[in-house]
Amino acid sequence: MWPLPRTPFPGYVKTGIFGYRHVDSDSVVRMVEESEVQSKHVEETVSKYGVDKVHRVEDRSGVNYFLYRFRNFRLIRYLLNWGRMASLFPAHITTACCSVEFAATHSPRYDPERFGWLPATGSLRQSDVLVVEGTVTSKMAMRLRLVYDQMPDPKWVIAMGACAISGGLYAKDSYNVVQGIDDILPVDVYVPGCPPRPETLFQGILLLREKILYGRWG
Amino acid sequence: MSLQAVVQAVDGKFGPSVLEKTVDEKKIVKIVVDASVVKSVALYLRDNLGFDHVKAVTGVDLSKLLKKENRIEIIYHLGSYSRPDLHTSDLALSVKLDKSAPRMVSLSEVWTSCVYHEREVYEMFGVVFEGHPDLRRLLLPEYWSDTPPMLKDYEAPGR
Repeated sequence: MWPLPRTPFPGYVKTGIFGYRHVDSDSVVRMVEESEVQSKHVEETVSKYGVDKVHRVEDRSGVNYFLYRFRNFRLIRYLLNWGRMASLFPAHITTACCSVEFAATHSPRYDPERFGWLPATGSLRQSDVLVVEGTVTSKMAMRLRLVYDQMPDPKWVIAMGACAISGGLYAKDSYNVVQGIDDILPVDVYVPGCPPRPETLFQGILLLREKILYGRWG
Repeated sequence: MSLQAVVQAVDGKFGPSVLEKTVDEKKIVKIVVDASVVKSVALYLRDNLGFDHVKAVTGVDLSKLLKKENRIEIIYHLGSYSRPDLHTSDLALSVKLDKSAPRMVSLSEVWTSCVYHEREVYEMFGVVFEGHPDLRRLLLPEYWSDTPPMLKDYEAPGR
């Protein structure tokens, strides 16, 4: 019977990270074993390469302290952020119809390269901004987080469209849609609309530029 | 030979096992059969009457409808490429299963296109198809361990 208890006892197997499932037949056991999420061997990797290679912490000792202080002078920080603001390489995750408007924003009519927003053709590991367009299902959520973690610092996130902001059409009563990507990512700019017009995304780009220039990154 | 004749042919061959017949050429033509004979009905439809593919496999949870049967209805929508007079028609072959332990024979040996449809019905309704070659989940996330989401018992978490 399907309303299942969440406690382990004979006849129930653990599935994934959240719960247990009743064993009906051999095929179900096989299915559960095949669909387990493989662990990424985090501890082995850390012991092999060291913590500071895996989770990089800013080194503020010795000479690096003076570099750190130098970067944080207001004028220097302003100049650094001015450089970052003026050359933004976006990476985009297309999961729904907002990508059409994202492509239309890059057309000559709007021409965001005037403001340093470059075409989204580069590698993920050399990008600055992640634009999430559209519905993120819970199966997609961990992949999206993986994409975000691969980008180098400093990085910013734009949530584009109603689905990425709050679940949109699938809010409240959906079994499989993340109710807003700010559950899993730190979002800098929200661009509302279903889908937003190119002008809306353009305003989001300008807002992000302001945020980079006057924000506290560095 | 119209769909009405098809229903009559099935009724003539499997008389007592055909539980319901709905014939409305404009809307739906449905045969509800007993779960024990569904494979032989399917073979008869494929070999003698020319229904050579499955368009869709769906399920309906009947427990919260007006009649409140504690059952799940699995519907196979059949179509025919080989017979020109049945090109536009759509026959629904349906089975009603007990909701407490929903199990039925897989029809993927009869129609190969059932394989993915039955996997989806399996994850969305929890129906176990016996004899299915590859009964894994299809679309839900890997860590899913809740009630199958298309059953009426399921409550969406919301935010």
